[in-house]
Amino acid sequence: MTETPVAAATATAEPKRAPRWRRRLLRNPLAVFGMIVIGFFLVVVALAPFISPYPPSQQSLRTTYVPPGVGVSFRGPDGQSGLWVNPVTRSPVGGLRVDDSEAYPVRWFVRGESWTWFFGLVESDLRLFGVDGPVRFYLLGTDEQGRDLFSRLVHGAWISLFIGLISIAIGIGIGVPLGAVSGFLGGTTDMITQRVVDTLLAFPGILLAIVLVATFGTGLGNVMIAVGVASIPIYARLVRGSVLQVKNREYVEAAAALGRRRLPTLFRHVIPNVMAPIIVQSSLQMAVAILFAAGLGFLGLGARPPQPEWGLMLARGREYLAVAPHVATFPGIAIVMVVLGFNLLGDALRDALDPRM
Amino acid sequence: MLQYTLRRVLIAIPSILGVMIIVFAMVRLAPGDPAQLLAGEFADAETIELIRERFGLNQSIPEQFLRFVGGVVQGDLGRSTRSNREVTADLAVYFPNTLELALGAIAVAILLGIPMGIIAALRPNTPVDLVVMLGALLGVSMPVFWFGLLAILIFSVELGWFPVAGRGTLRHLVLPAITLSASSLAIIARMTRSSMLEVLGQDFIRTARAKGLFGRGVVLKHALRNALVPVVTVVGLQFGALLAGAVITETVFTWPGIGSLLVQSILARDYPVVQGAVLLIAVSFIIVNLIVDLIYGYIDPRIRYD
Repeated sequence: MTETPVAAATATAEPKRAPRWRRRLLRNPLAVFGMIVIGFFLVVVALAPFISPYPPSQQSLRTTYVPPGVGVSFRGPDGQSGLWVNPVTRSPVGGLRVDDSEAYPVRWFVRGESWTWFFGLVESDLRLFGVDGPVRFYLLGTDEQGRDLFSRLVHGAWISLFIGLISIAIGIGIGVPLGAVSGFLGGTTDMITQRVVDTLLAFPGILLAIVLVATFGTGLGNVMIAVGVASIPIYARLVRGSVLQVKNREYVEAAAALGRRRLPTLFRHVIPNVMAPIIVQSSLQMAVAILFAAGLGFLGLGARPPQPEWGLMLARGREYLAVAPHVATFPGIAIVMVVLGFNLLGDALRDALDPRM
Repeated sequence: MLQYTLRRVLIAIPSILGVMIIVFAMVRLAPGDPAQLLAGEFADAETIELIRERFGLNQSIPEQFLRFVGGVVQGDLGRSTRSNREVTADLAVYFPNTLELALGAIAVAILLGIPMGIIAALRPNTPVDLVVMLGALLGVSMPVFWFGLLAILIFSVELGWFPVAGRGTLRHLVLPAITLSASSLAIIARMTRSSMLEVLGQDFIRTARAKGLFGRGVVLKHALRNALVPVVTVVGLQFGALLAGAVITETVFTWPGIGSLLVQSILARDYPVVQGAVLLIAVSFIIVNLIVDLIYGYIDPRIRYD
């Protein structure tokens, strides 16, 4: 299992530790790089319609498979050179051409089609970049329906972010209490919980999510839940191990000596002291969840067209790999960057929170 | 060792039982009538009744479960709603192909991962180390399907070295095996490196160096043997994980294995085959893990007395 090495990260309960681990984190160049990537990703999610030059689902069957960085003129045919050729049908597309004769510079902050965002709270027609004039500029090219790939990638970013966040929320919300109670109480509770966790871990990697999706149905909503549920046994196992290390410390005994009941002690004193591995795992879990969800999208078990989910976009691009490799390449790069960002941050957090590793 | 073996085998049994409960529950929890699901979307009323009779779907849930377990033990998982073939017969055809792919992938992961880990550990915090570790990080961050598509694009479409898809000759195996191995390779390289670094810092290595041994002698003779003990576990666990990871790789390369069978069956709502494939993958994973535990207990006797 990919996740097991994390279990070794342990919590150290020293006061005033926070500034030191933060300094250690910021001194690690890989951690800083990871945080920059994640920050960029968050900005893209927040400002999607402003960053993307075109609406994500706007089709244009005349401009399919346009390669990256090409501007396509929308003016009538006038026999000039460089006719735009559809690479699938290998025939010139009616009236479209790659126009070299007139240059339309790509400008920052242009007026484009209007958009609304945040449930209609923000409305504008300002876009980060674009072309003035009768030309469209496709930074990363277009897909099989002539949709701007860059705009779709930008609009699909929130899906990955949401899947990761929901997965962590389910994992922490159910897995952490489960593992903590199991480790802290021990005995029969622990035995039964561990058999359940063992069973769930018998479905390695993406298989548990696949089983859940096969049972409860495909689609983006179910994928988010499935990927989240698949993280429960990992959190449960991790937290149980950490709680076992902490539960015989003096402060737990002190709480018992003061007459505190077991479960309140667990939640007030033990769990706060095992937060470090949970934080590390959550960063790595973002990466795993995004990969799993993209995998399910790729298999056709997740998001459905026309949702701009990255895995699904990649799956569509697979069918045109030979004629338009960019359609499958860029969603893959987007996934790699985001996943790498969370993996780098997770690794660095582990080093920073537990220097003994 | 015998006691240890027995204990390990006993621990595996509740897991297998749990897996059967989950696979059994899949059809009962899915929206719709279980009889209809097991008979297929286009089955007529008569067939549905037949299925209901055969799987005892009128009986109580515990009775149904016992019947299900009885069927599994006898190798009876029902019939595919698409092809009407016995599910077990289908699994027997597809599973060896998945095994072949997983063996190829684990071979690639071991042959590249362990040397990479050793090289990185011998020169810690140098550019060589950084490149290996960043490569490993990239390996676990890359979606398998994207890596596979890039491999197809470069080595099949552009260069024409390997076939685009399918199974058959050794040349068919190369790209899928490398693709599937990517994340395992990365994990094995990282594990080898950290295990090697730990061993190289220990007293007996210093003793060996003090005796006048240096360079390759120390590394290969003394350090490697000790460093590989935890690596064996990781290799075993990875092999188990590869059986499940094959789901995506097989789909990318249209490899006729149990993973692509599973995906096609889910999409076609062919529940008997879905149940069979999930059961087979999970149980093989448990058995592989059991074998890994036993090997670990054999090569590191300290484990047995925990």
